[in-house]
Amino acid sequence: MPTYTLNVNGVNRTVDVPDAGMPLLWVLRDFLGFTGAKYGCGIEVCGACTVIVDNQREHSCKVDVSSVVGKKIVTVEGLSGDVDGAKAQAAWIANQVPQCGFCQPGMLTATTAAMKAGHHGKEIAPEVKHICVCGTYPRINKAMTGL
Amino acid sequence: MDDLATAPQGPTRRDVLKSVGAAFVLPFAISISPRSAEAAAPVQIGAFIRIDETNTVTLSIGSSEMGQGIMTGLAQLVAEQLQINWSQMRAEHAVGGAGAGNPYANPLFHAQITGGSTSMMGWYTPMRTAAATVRDMLIAGAARQTNTTGWRLGTAGTVTNGTLTLTFADVAATAASITGLPAPVLATTTKFVGQRMQRLDIPAKVNGSAIYGMDVQVPGMVFASVVHCPTLGGTVAATPAKPNRAGVLGVVNLDTAVAVIANNTWTAIKAARDLEGTITWLRPSDTTRMDSATLAATAQSLLTSDSATAFVAEAVGTPTMAGAVKTLDQTYRLPFLAHACMEVMNCTASVTADRCEIWAPTQGQEFIIPAAAAACGLTNDKVILHTTYLGGGFGRKIEVDYVVQAVRCSRQLGVPVKLIWSREQDFQNDKFRPSALIRVQAGLDASNNVTSVIYRNVSPSIKLQRGPSSVTNPEDTGAVAGAKGLPYSFTARRIEHVALPTDIPLGYWRSVGESYNTFAVESAMDELAKLANINPLTFRRDRLADPRAKAVLTAVETLSSWKNTPPTGYQRGVAFLKGFGSYIAMVAEVGKTTAGTIKVAKIYVAVDCGVVINPDQVEAQMQGGIAHGLAAAMWHQATFVAGVPQVRNFSNYPYLKLQSMPTVSIKLVASAAAPGGVGETSVPVVAPAVANAWAKLTNTRLRSLPFYPGTTMGGL
Repeated sequence: MPTYTLNVNGVNRTVDVPDAGMPLLWVLRDFLGFTGAKYGCGIEVCGACTVIVDNQREHSCKVDVSSVVGKKIVTVEGLSGDVDGAKAQAAWIANQVPQCGFCQPGMLTATTAAMKAGHHGKEIAPEVKHICVCGTYPRINKAMTGL
Repeated sequence: MDDLATAPQGPTRRDVLKSVGAAFVLPFAISISPRSAEAAAPVQIGAFIRIDETNTVTLSIGSSEMGQGIMTGLAQLVAEQLQINWSQMRAEHAVGGAGAGNPYANPLFHAQITGGSTSMMGWYTPMRTAAATVRDMLIAGAARQTNTTGWRLGTAGTVTNGTLTLTFADVAATAASITGLPAPVLATTTKFVGQRMQRLDIPAKVNGSAIYGMDVQVPGMVFASVVHCPTLGGTVAATPAKPNRAGVLGVVNLDTAVAVIANNTWTAIKAARDLEGTITWLRPSDTTRMDSATLAATAQSLLTSDSATAFVAEAVGTPTMAGAVKTLDQTYRLPFLAHACMEVMNCTASVTADRCEIWAPTQGQEFIIPAAAAACGLTNDKVILHTTYLGGGFGRKIEVDYVVQAVRCSRQLGVPVKLIWSREQDFQNDKFRPSALIRVQAGLDASNNVTSVIYRNVSPSIKLQRGPSSVTNPEDTGAVAGAKGLPYSFTARRIEHVALPTDIPLGYWRSVGESYNTFAVESAMDELAKLANINPLTFRRDRLADPRAKAVLTAVETLSSWKNTPPTGYQRGVAFLKGFGSYIAMVAEVGKTTAGTIKVAKIYVAVDCGVVINPDQVEAQMQGGIAHGLAAAMWHQATFVAGVPQVRNFSNYPYLKLQSMPTVSIKLVASAAAPGGVGETSVPVVAPAVANAWAKLTNTRLRSLPFYPGTTMGGL
């Protein structure tokens, strides 16, 4: 059983994983207890599993755990410790964005990654092609305009 | 979705109707929490309200929070009666119940289910009454505790007699034992009710701490995923061997599926996929009733058959096209649909010899408890059901299938099990929204009065499928919801439902009968307006007597600048619905994309949902329902080939994206009427509003949904 040390939300965590090919999503959820990132489709369409790896958004359902060793992983649980992430969270609250909320960790991490890539305001939405079945899109769009 | 109450073990629609207006009896088995012996322990006062040592007031609700904001809405009702600060208010799901005496049953249904946009309708008066009773108990408790008189409610969670002020927490334990108070007087202030209070669940939903079913962690649990027979209705012929994959612990034969047990979710899903194609299934011998092409042909024949057994849901006069000056005879077609909750079906269960504990994202506590008890050979009282947040429900999570699977796995294995479906299993084993083939015949007289309407809806019946089936009383009120009892002044009318025989598993999909009937009705109204050469908004309004109905049309007329010429390249279409206890009128402003497909630029909506508890959340439901209804109208259809569902993932069931969402403008029409529903109200009117605008723009009438079937995302 391979052992990896992952830096999640600024803290190194060592974890025994049964399979080197296991996607990061399931290591975060089942082995490290970070359940913020969600399983939605498993095929990189819905975006619910999105996390930030070295400032880039990644679909954690398709990222092998072995490929993120030594990189900085930020999940929705870690956004409050990030300047951009905290801004996004505040905008989400100010605009009362979530309904069921299940897709929002992915929306928030992707938004934060877009901000880190230099996108602001209306430039962010084209970077976030996620699905929200509740249809919170008007409020997400509005929240993004202030970022 | 009143027809929800016909699910197994549920009360009938007649029970529901009987219960409306029945006096509410406060479920006061007064209980103090077990820890109340300690001085600082939280005190439970009645079934709904708990007060802790920090003077925080926690509301336990029976309705499920699946995004509609019901936790917050009900908390606003409580806060109003208690006049506390919003920062003191919390809400949580109560432990679920079922059967008689369950205080968390929706008073409309006498069943703990969340559906039909009924939570606020059901709880508006009972919840305020419960909170006002607690308020009076706190006041009486202060008097008893201090042996003084003259106590009244203070501010910020206090009671006062003018000289002494005590917090709720100070007097809660005494208050909890007060009995025999007169019926409370309900506060009618509007500090919280009608205000844009921030949702109580949003902080947890933006920091990742909100616990959905999928996020539940129980010590010692193992993980399961399932593979069902690819053909609907198939069963397991022989239990397969355990897949040879590291981390797999075993398999469980669930009759209609095989569960693979593993030490993590990913391995369970992968191993379940390994098993696909290797399991020997007993497939249904005849799949013609689960084949889209065959079903379409059958529906077509039933549409015009004189011998079809039709349920006549409504008959007024003798409708006939014989004497009409102008007639309409058109057919509208709607597909089966999947629910596609963002959170796939999942459940965690821990079963021991004498206890079954469940953590589930569920809208159907009433159904889960007896189903789980039966699966364990236990009585209902041995089932402890924790409702988590739901990552979408839309009617799918009122079903018990996924819960019973988890319970059976845990019972067989003797350890807690978290069972999660893959997205592919979720799409393929849905309880599908019925298809509908609807013929509308209507006649106008010389003055353009609608003198006759003959309406036949051929669609699979949810009620007949889940029984109790009765050919002598095949009433399926859900199947004609949105067609029966229309407020339009049709002189004579006959509204029929013909059940299309199918074995495709059927279920309640957000807005149920209205989700298909309203498309036919509101498309036909537009076609009639065109025949009459009358502005379609005016045509509708002049055929409505109900002032609330007329008012929403007038409001959307103003909001959308209906009387003004639309921007070049755009046209507007309108649709109206009285449903779910509310009134809604919607205008879609539609143009063409560069590819020549439908581009929905703007949606205007006016809604009268009675007393508004939280305007921001009514608006959220309007926005969300529009996104939901628009994606369905544009792209969604679940098809079947010889019993095999063809939709497997979001890749062939697309949704809007941020940039394809139209601009939405909303007008809440002020009303003092009792609260109506808002969770479903906006969904059914989207497709007809868009089709009506498109007909105006292109002179092409779209009578079949979706507008762009298939896997491409045409339009928007």
